[in-house]
Amino acid sequence: MSTLTLEVVAVDDHVPGIRTLTLARPDRSVLPSFTPGSHLVIQCAGGANAYSLTGDTTAPREYMVSVLECPQGRGGSRWIHQTLAVGDTVEAHLPRSAFAPVLRARRHLFVAAGIGITPMVSHLRSARRWGRDVRLLYIHRQGRDAYVDEIRKLTDHATIVTGRAAFQSELTTALACQPFGTHVYICGPSQFIDDVVATATASGWPPSRIHVEHFGGELAPGDPFEVELSSTGDVFTVEAGVSLLELLTSRGYAVPSLCHQGVCGECRLPVRSGTVLHRDLYLTEDERRDSMMACVSRASGRVELDL
Amino acid sequence: MVDTEAVYHTLDYDRVTMTPDLDLTSVPSWAVEPACPRADLTGRHYTMLAIGTDAAAIAADWATQINGKPRVHLVTDAAEACRALDADLADAVVGWRLLLAGPAHACLRVRARALELGAADDEITVASTEVSIREIYCAHCRSTTTTPVSLTGQVTCRGCGRELFVYYHVSRRLGAHLGFTTRADTAP
Repeated sequence: MSTLTLEVVAVDDHVPGIRTLTLARPDRSVLPSFTPGSHLVIQCAGGANAYSLTGDTTAPREYMVSVLECPQGRGGSRWIHQTLAVGDTVEAHLPRSAFAPVLRARRHLFVAAGIGITPMVSHLRSARRWGRDVRLLYIHRQGRDAYVDEIRKLTDHATIVTGRAAFQSELTTALACQPFGTHVYICGPSQFIDDVVATATASGWPPSRIHVEHFGGELAPGDPFEVELSSTGDVFTVEAGVSLLELLTSRGYAVPSLCHQGVCGECRLPVRSGTVLHRDLYLTEDERRDSMMACVSRASGRVELDL
Repeated sequence: MVDTEAVYHTLDYDRVTMTPDLDLTSVPSWAVEPACPRADLTGRHYTMLAIGTDAAAIAADWATQINGKPRVHLVTDAAEACRALDADLADAVVGWRLLLAGPAHACLRVRARALELGAADDEITVASTEVSIREIYCAHCRSTTTTPVSLTGQVTCRGCGRELFVYYHVSRRLGAHLGFTTRADTAP
């Protein structure tokens, strides 16, 4: 897969806990365009993290990402916050689109919490350029008002709140009165996404109108399980806190991987038998019958892989 | 040389009739066999369209399953159903569902109108009261012929007189089956 070498050309720390990086090619030439809602996977020490692109989508010369510092995270955000400086270079993959606008929607309703605002920013830019009807509902913590000034420039239809009760009331009202043909886009912590999806579903929203963008979030270490490789009959134990991907890699098996968060779909493995505990955000229900994502998913008892 | 047996196997063709598994085509199952699913109860507002007397009974049954007050329209044909649909959708909000009952060919027409107005598949429930009549769109002169005919059967196009093969493809946009000539056109 092709990668980009990008230089950090600006660092903005004015919102506490959130660092915004401006990245450009070392020769400042044009970067690939991207679909609104796309993310950039940046290589960090020991892995790769996905961050939503918030800048211009068409033939940009700069990519912008905003990174929330997660002290309990895997280290990627700490490295960006504490080590990365102007002039440094990072390796990134080409932008990936997994949260695109539905172009036949009559209206786009964006619901974001905290750093979950980032994919909405490129949506708002694109909507402004193409004259699409949008509504934004954004909840953030007091003082952590990332992108608020930008949003005010991009739309007159933003509702921005800092209190949970105010948010819930705005959300319930918004979901109850959207004109037929509206699609809703949700980004924030997992629990937030689950709550908004539940409210939407209770208001009669069908799954086809609900779009979600997950990010980060630590998964439980899980219980140990056994894995059997059908080609060799080898059996390994995957201990708690160790991923199947880590185990296979340490045993010398080359499994393609990228995000290590169950999002990108690279480390999909064929499953022959066993009870898989799916924890990814990638596979469909149908695909889950014979596949698993090695980076996050686990099993109960023994799982046989078609490898 | 191509291993034809293997090809048919991968395409899931019935090797005797050459008919594909209809689940893999654009022909809805309710346009092949009469169907009477339960009402979709996940919505908040409902429009119920019943085309013909057999459909009215289905609508009455659906009405008992739904909490709240569906808008019910008992109509005689697809055109009348489409007019009622247009009127209901003018002020609809997300959470709206269409419950549609009637002859399959009429339901295909109304579904096409609903899709054109922005409805999604998971907002439309269809019960078909009969499936023998089909509307065939002529790939050559673009007129449609409505007549009793089975899939893979033949009809005479009422627009151009060509003998049309009724293909297992339904246009979601037109709500009609694709028909194409069984004899290659000859040069004038």
